[in-house]
Amino acid sequence: MNRSLLIPLSALVLVISVTVRGDTDAEVQARKDALDVAAAFSNDGFKIRDGHWCGIVKPHDHSLVAVNLYAGNEYWFSASGVAPAKKIAVSVYDETGKQVTTESYDNGEKAAAGFAPPSSGQYFVSIDLVEGEQSSFCLVYSYK
Amino acid sequence: MIRLATLGAIVLTGGAFVAFSAETGPIPADQLAKAARSDSISIPTPGELFAALEKSGKINWAGQYRGPMPMTYRDRPQIALNLGGLIADGFIAVQAKDGQQVKNIGADIIKLAKALGVSEKLLGRGSSINDFADNNEWDTLQEELEATQNEVKSSMQSHADQDLVILVTLGGWIRGTQVVTSSIMQNYDESSAKVLRQPALVHFMQSKINEVSPELRNDPLVKDLSNELGKTEKLVSFPAGKAPTVEEVRKVNEAVSKMMGEIESKEAPK
Repeated sequence: MNRSLLIPLSALVLVISVTVRGDTDAEVQARKDALDVAAAFSNDGFKIRDGHWCGIVKPHDHSLVAVNLYAGNEYWFSASGVAPAKKIAVSVYDETGKQVTTESYDNGEKAAAGFAPPSSGQYFVSIDLVEGEQSSFCLVYSYK
Repeated sequence: MIRLATLGAIVLTGGAFVAFSAETGPIPADQLAKAARSDSISIPTPGELFAALEKSGKINWAGQYRGPMPMTYRDRPQIALNLGGLIADGFIAVQAKDGQQVKNIGADIIKLAKALGVSEKLLGRGSSINDFADNNEWDTLQEELEATQNEVKSSMQSHADQDLVILVTLGGWIRGTQVVTSSIMQNYDESSAKVLRQPALVHFMQSKINEVSPELRNDPLVKDLSNELGKTEKLVSFPAGKAPTVEEVRKVNEAVSKMMGEIESKEAPK
């Protein structure tokens, strides 16, 4: 199969699989948009992990999820909100709660943070609402 | 560090890449404790672990194969644990780029899944795995294995077997860690040994096991594994940034091999 077709195809499979898990329409849309961001990183060899985390992003509040990462790998955490969220941010914290330096992609309600952990272990990914109102969001991640 | 120059070429219209994220203050421990944790995003797949290991050099993945396993376990927890281990074996075969081995393991995954009554949709997955293996589509095969694992878990949840989901995950982690520690012991270097630092991950899996029904928690095999996980958590609690010594790696290998032996055994735990 043509490799250029595989990335959108796998993203489509991931989107379809979410619909059987009872996510809301807003979460399904947010996940589709997050996968669109993550799919772009696939061109650079990042594999999208078949898993996601959806939730609600609120003003002045961190939406936090714990992840376990391996030193040696590189990661991109890609998230998307839906209206009425206008701008979100993705950031990463180490196990002590200290923010780590990431490379970032920002595009309104879509954002991503890239990170190569120096140490294996637990990290926390935070989704924050920068502009707009409370809304659903979804996070996916990719690694290589 | 991730290469922005390369990523700058990515087709993401309208957005902006920023070299470094804006600094904010630390998050207090009580907020971190309330962070969401879920099987589908907080527990890495065997593929992630193997990708990290492979950074240190060429790995003899085929040397990590194990012999054919019985398909006749009667006990559902043991089947779930072995199913997880088998899926990890599938990732190993993908790393080895061994199409026939991937197909053999794919067939075994379907057989074990059938024994748990979750095979209807998976029959299609088995066919896809064969097609991708025939066409050497290794990246797609890895995605297919992840999707297969998630479909097994999703099917378990819809059949009120949600307590077995963590056992599939646990079986995969134990088998993956057995392979990784074995490989590191054969060709030790500090950077590859660093992948073994996962105390929070082991703690999370043990806490999930503590949440299953009392009946399952008191299953002799599950009870044994839960106890062993408590010891294993200490063995993988290295200080951040410090690589475990070869002796420390050996201890982790012995611990997970003991658990793997119990998972594979046809005899009841003593």
